[in-house]
Amino acid sequence: MASRGRQGGKSGWRVLIVGTGGQGVLTAARLLCDLFVDRGHDVVSGQLHGMAQRGGSVQSSVLIDCGSSPMIAKGRADVVLGFEPVETARALPFMSSRTVVYMNTNPVIPYTVGQQWVLSKGKAEYPCVDELRETIEAVTPHLYSFDVTGLAEESGSSTTLNMIMLGCLLGSGSFPYAPGDFCSALSGRLPPASADANRKAFSKGVELGKTFQRSECYS
Amino acid sequence: MSVSSRHEILEDSPGKRACLLGNLAIARGALEAGVQFFSCYPGTPSSEIGDAFARVAKEAGILFEYSVNEKIAVEIAFAASLAGARVMCGMKHLGLNYACDPFSTMPYVGVGGGMVIVSAGDPSAITSPNEQDQRHFTRFLYCPIFDPATPQDALTMTRYAFEFSEATRLPVIVRPTTRVCHSSGMVKFGPMPRDTNEIRLRKDPSRHVPIPANARRMRRELTERYRRAEELLQTSEFFPRTGRGPYGIIASGVAYAHAAQAVADLGVEPEVTLQQIGAYPIPEKILTEFLEAVDSVLVVEELTPFVEDWVTTVAFRRQRHIPVYGKHSGHFPVEFEYSPDLVENVLREYLHLEQQEKTSVQVPELPGRPPVLCPGCPHRTTFYYARKVFGDKTVYCNDIGCYTLGYGEPLHSCDMVLCMGSSITQASGIARVTGARTVAYIGDSTFFHSGLPALANAVQAKDNITVVILDNYITAMTGFQPSLTTDGWGSGDGAQAAIKAPMGPGVHFSIEKSVRGLGVNDVYSVDPFDEEAILSALKAAKGGSGVNVVICHSPCVVYQRRLDKGKRRPPVRIDPDKCDSCSLCVRTLGCPAILVTDGEYTIDQVLCDGCGLCARLCRHGAVQEILPGRI
Repeated sequence: MASRGRQGGKSGWRVLIVGTGGQGVLTAARLLCDLFVDRGHDVVSGQLHGMAQRGGSVQSSVLIDCGSSPMIAKGRADVVLGFEPVETARALPFMSSRTVVYMNTNPVIPYTVGQQWVLSKGKAEYPCVDELRETIEAVTPHLYSFDVTGLAEESGSSTTLNMIMLGCLLGSGSFPYAPGDFCSALSGRLPPASADANRKAFSKGVELGKTFQRSECYS
Repeated sequence: MSVSSRHEILEDSPGKRACLLGNLAIARGALEAGVQFFSCYPGTPSSEIGDAFARVAKEAGILFEYSVNEKIAVEIAFAASLAGARVMCGMKHLGLNYACDPFSTMPYVGVGGGMVIVSAGDPSAITSPNEQDQRHFTRFLYCPIFDPATPQDALTMTRYAFEFSEATRLPVIVRPTTRVCHSSGMVKFGPMPRDTNEIRLRKDPSRHVPIPANARRMRRELTERYRRAEELLQTSEFFPRTGRGPYGIIASGVAYAHAAQAVADLGVEPEVTLQQIGAYPIPEKILTEFLEAVDSVLVVEELTPFVEDWVTTVAFRRQRHIPVYGKHSGHFPVEFEYSPDLVENVLREYLHLEQQEKTSVQVPELPGRPPVLCPGCPHRTTFYYARKVFGDKTVYCNDIGCYTLGYGEPLHSCDMVLCMGSSITQASGIARVTGARTVAYIGDSTFFHSGLPALANAVQAKDNITVVILDNYITAMTGFQPSLTTDGWGSGDGAQAAIKAPMGPGVHFSIEKSVRGLGVNDVYSVDPFDEEAILSALKAAKGGSGVNVVICHSPCVVYQRRLDKGKRRPPVRIDPDKCDSCSLCVRTLGCPAILVTDGEYTIDQVLCDGCGLCARLCRHGAVQEILPGRI
């Protein structure tokens, strides 16, 4: 039998959201799920949060109209939303030359970086972000990076990082919806106390996403 | 229950599409079946089921408890079932091991109202000390088992499991794995029940007392009831078969979801007959028909070759001599969970498709983010002082909880662990053969779970052990479920808000009284952050004879912060002029709030909880506590 597979069975979208505990990865994944379920899509989402805690690695997959498996196969992510540079690089096995990567360039330094050196004479170092960028670009040319943490802090709250990243994804033209459609749907799902800040952050993200070139693989 | 409940899983909105977490789909399935009683002991990946019931139990009129352990959870639920109630228990795979003694006789006695035990499996031992295959319980104890592949399966199977349990009078296991529990997927709501089972216990010792004479009669009935279970499953919806191709694929659990995905992605539907196994016992008729329809079989299942052996046996018995591939043939590994890549690659091999080019993506060496005790955690403080007093040579037997993170550098406070409650017994064993005083660390919830009998045993043997009970007033590791020492259970926000204090606010179990009641005379109660008190208690314990107990009371910092609505102690700071980078703090404490950058020591002002332990440790006075007025 000759190979005639659809090479990834491309029909929907496979989004991988990665970051560290406390950055709002799971919330972003949940919101993305809800937004697409609202629009009649079938969504399957997997999370890895066994021992996850503040500062640990967090990965969450959101598969929209893809089928039954809750996990993204190696090399099959359509989009990687990287909240942190090292965590984005950790997701490299899920990327291919078609993957679009949106990466926050602002690192969250693991405590082990300094402590490991003291404790085990290990060589755990935080890699240079530019080198990480080059490593990712060696796999996919569609890497868009920005200091999103800085942008969040500028707007007054570092906890809105996830909303900017989500806005960036939805504003980038990756999906056949206008970002404005999502904005109103989001409002009802946010806690009233922080709804305003989050809405502003989302809009900021949408603007950022618009500046990134629209990827060909969705056209 | 109303359409407008603020809890989505209580909505009476049949036909509604929702994207639900697998564990919530299980809870929804039970609610649609009219569950009346729920008991559990938290354990990843099952905990969200109990937490969901904690939130909705009151509104739904369901009797709910976080039990002291899993054995108790199933015994109470079983009795409630005998009185007619539909009952469910939640636990992880290891929990059912602990409950296996009562559970093993339940199929004999038989249930009244439907009884469903959710025993969540953990292939790859992601959050467990082992991976085990609970599906063997079906042949081991004549208990039917449902094996969901998706959240929708989880909902439908759980809902059906209750009436199925009543029809066979067998307790039923629903066995989701981590990937089902912790994945969200589309489900379709069914209607909420209009009425529930009548509660009425008819006394009938000949049916409820398995003395040998009765047990032998029950054994014969059990064979018949298990056969009835197979008959019912044969006409159930849990064995869907798709396609008519010669290549047979038979799959169960989340591996079925991967296999269905791979068949679709590869576009090989015409070549394949895909059979899901959604429950056990596998009806022989279903397997026989499948085997007749295909030229070969590939079995796709995680953990042991359970379905594979079943298929092979049926093929042999039916004299259907076709190849059966799976784990025995080396196509799949016997260890660990499957990834979609693995399943797709094996399918390619089986279907003689070209293998995918190996991708050459090289991941550079990246710093890890291993789990660690939180900044300000009282366990770190206790470990630090205990090692100061007991030294490096003492054996530290640890237990199941956050405090297992005492393992390795730099705390070195976890020399052995086995299971819930094993710290005390392992310490007894070590102390008895070596003669050296041995330390056991155990948390409040784990102590009441299975530490009490272990301590009684140590007392009767006069073992030379010091039991350090780490009382942080909560079951922290599994997501802050109340423990017996939680003050006024559910006084805080979050999952436990619906649960009222069984003994009223301000009242909780006294570990001191429990321990003294078991015959321990030397009992020391301390706040681990009170340096003088904890050092003197530990020194006295070290010099004592027989069993003594040091109880360290201090709240879990993360939970306390939740109760205090985010308020925390002000962080400490390192004065760069005084710090000479001696690294003592890092070498001793392993606190993730202490950062080392190019030999410079700083404190992360967001992470630091201001517990001040590093300030006390520093020989140069370089760590300064910031007074509230200065931030």
